Amino acid sequence: MPGITDSLRVGIVGAGGMGRIHTTAWQTTPATVVGYRDIRPERAERYAELYGGRAYDSLDALLADVDAVSCTTPTDVHYEIVMAAARAGKHVVCEKPLARTLAQGREMIAACRAAGVKLLVGQVVRFFPEYDRAKRAVDGGMIGQPAMLRFSRCVSQPRLSVDNWFIDPARSGGLILDLMVHDFDFARWVAGEVTRVYAKAVSVTRPQAGVDHALAILTHASGALTHVEGSWAYPPAFATAFEIAGSEGLLTFDAETSAPTKFLRHKPADQTIPEVPLPSNPLLESQYVTEIKAFYQAIVADAPVRVNATDGLAAIQIALAAIESAQTGRPVEIAPVAHEEATQ
Amino acid sequence: MKIGIFSFAHMHAESYVRCVAGLPGVELLGIADDDAARGAEFARRHGTRFYPSYDALLADKPDGVMICAENARHRPLTELTAAAGVHVLCEKPLATTIADGQAMLDACQRAGVILMTAFPVRFNAPIREVKTLLDKGGLGQVYACNTTNQGTMPGRSRPWFVDKALAGGGAMMDHTVHVADLLRWFLGQEVVEVYAQGNRIIHADTVAVDTGGLLLMTFADGTFASLDCSWSRPLVSQTWGGVTLDLIGERGVVKVDAFRQNVIAHGEHAGKAQNLFWGSDSDGAMVAEFVAAIREGRQPSVTGYDGYKAMEIALAGYRSAETGQPVRLPLA
Repeated sequence: MPGITDSLRVGIVGAGGMGRIHTTAWQTTPATVVGYRDIRPERAERYAELYGGRAYDSLDALLADVDAVSCTTPTDVHYEIVMAAARAGKHVVCEKPLARTLAQGREMIAACRAAGVKLLVGQVVRFFPEYDRAKRAVDGGMIGQPAMLRFSRCVSQPRLSVDNWFIDPARSGGLILDLMVHDFDFARWVAGEVTRVYAKAVSVTRPQAGVDHALAILTHASGALTHVEGSWAYPPAFATAFEIAGSEGLLTFDAETSAPTKFLRHKPADQTIPEVPLPSNPLLESQYVTEIKAFYQAIVADAPVRVNATDGLAAIQIALAAIESAQTGRPVEIAPVAHEEATQ
Repeated sequence: MKIGIFSFAHMHAESYVRCVAGLPGVELLGIADDDAARGAEFARRHGTRFYPSYDALLADKPDGVMICAENARHRPLTELTAAAGVHVLCEKPLATTIADGQAMLDACQRAGVILMTAFPVRFNAPIREVKTLLDKGGLGQVYACNTTNQGTMPGRSRPWFVDKALAGGGAMMDHTVHVADLLRWFLGQEVVEVYAQGNRIIHADTVAVDTGGLLLMTFADGTFASLDCSWSRPLVSQTWGGVTLDLIGERGVVKVDAFRQNVIAHGEHAGKAQNLFWGSDSDGAMVAEFVAAIREGRQPSVTGYDGYKAMEIALAGYRSAETGQPVRLPLA
């Protein structure tokens, strides 16, 4: 464990949308964001101007100056960043999904474990207060044994003006790995290991989109069943909803009906469509801040954290099984990774 | 025009009796029920005659009979009615086996009588609005549908619903057919493959049939639709459940919640929150269609074949849940 004196020094790798969110979240903790690295140097320089710290022209130079990094790059690059951080003996906060492939995810976990550094995966939905509230209700026995779970996450297609890697399946894994992974992780957190996956997928906003709408059925080892709907093909909105039906009750949530504020515009044209849709819900502390604070405590105080690296691996395992099922038309059986990986 | 009712095993019978009473020129002939106490009680309550046997009611020459018996008893009662030359409106699901369903279609065809399946959601006004929108091309090509027909477990007041021999199954048999029928109607295509999983966690201590289920259906052109058919609404819910469909197509998304037209009541008299439904009467429209089809000597807009195809999807769901593999339709 690298010694952390005074203030934890953090570097941001990937100065894009999530890089900004991580930067401002780290700045609410005692940590110091010392700098940024991006393959497009002007972006790192821009963040240095906006948020303080400096731009680095190499990953190694950044790693030499920090105790921990946030990896907020496109998914296909997570592997090389996390492996480099592990080699340098630095803790890593890695955005979800953990990796583009299961093999990469396994290697990343093994490397961080061998290096004695934390690998913290940004499955942020576990920190969303509405999901967290439901999880605590289930754990408190309010609805008995979870039986039928439903999740929906329907947004418009990510449309980064430069390098829209989200819609390149080779880089992001597409809708199922990038977006539905949130609900796969949460379903597994609530109802336990998933043993079987069946999914159907389609391209709605043809032809450039690739898969942009999918439905999946997960079978849990407990017998519980989960339905997940994911979409990048929705008209502009961030529509999330869930319900958890158990042997003794039912929990339901719908972002639309629970939205506490509404802005009705005279001119719908005034509505701006974000490059990457993010949920909006007024909170005194954003879920990303809650998450980064928890990761900060995990790094400096070895505090337990609600999502470990194996959870991140299990989530991509479910997502990759769903992708395979949608391609083959057959259900895919899973041997849960939690059985092979000790808790990080 | 004279209409009779066979059996009050299914709670919908009460509603259908009221619907008949409201139709001009239609006489409610009476009620026959193998549970004499039940049949006599409902006959008294609705001011109509109780017949001690189904044959006795048929002997009084009804034009049509509405069959609200337990699912597995639909076949013998349909065959009996058809043999008497009387038209049939049969409660859903049409039957519990392919053989029974086929026999019912054959019997009614041979006798030249109407066989209509009781799918009242077809006559639900919000659902019809969506059908109109789809037919006008408002959504363009439909790619995928996310649907639910969830409800409370009905076995407490009607124990046969959770008796596999009489009901043919549990939640999947009870709650697949309505939406399966709507999807066939909306999309104008048949389901060619079904994947399904079921479980029995909710009410596991009191019920021996499946109480939870999910299906993923694939249509001929590749359009797919999921359905949650679970009895997952707590018994204390303010409603029996509902029917929802979200359809995504090339021009956007259409969502329909068929039973959302409610005023919500709270208060000292209302007790727990109650839904006061103010939407149009779909049962009435369905019974009116049965009567109109008889009068006009035509097929009804919802046929026995529609009921057969919807039941086939539920049966394929059970087969898939058992084998763990997608099941191709039609079933042999």
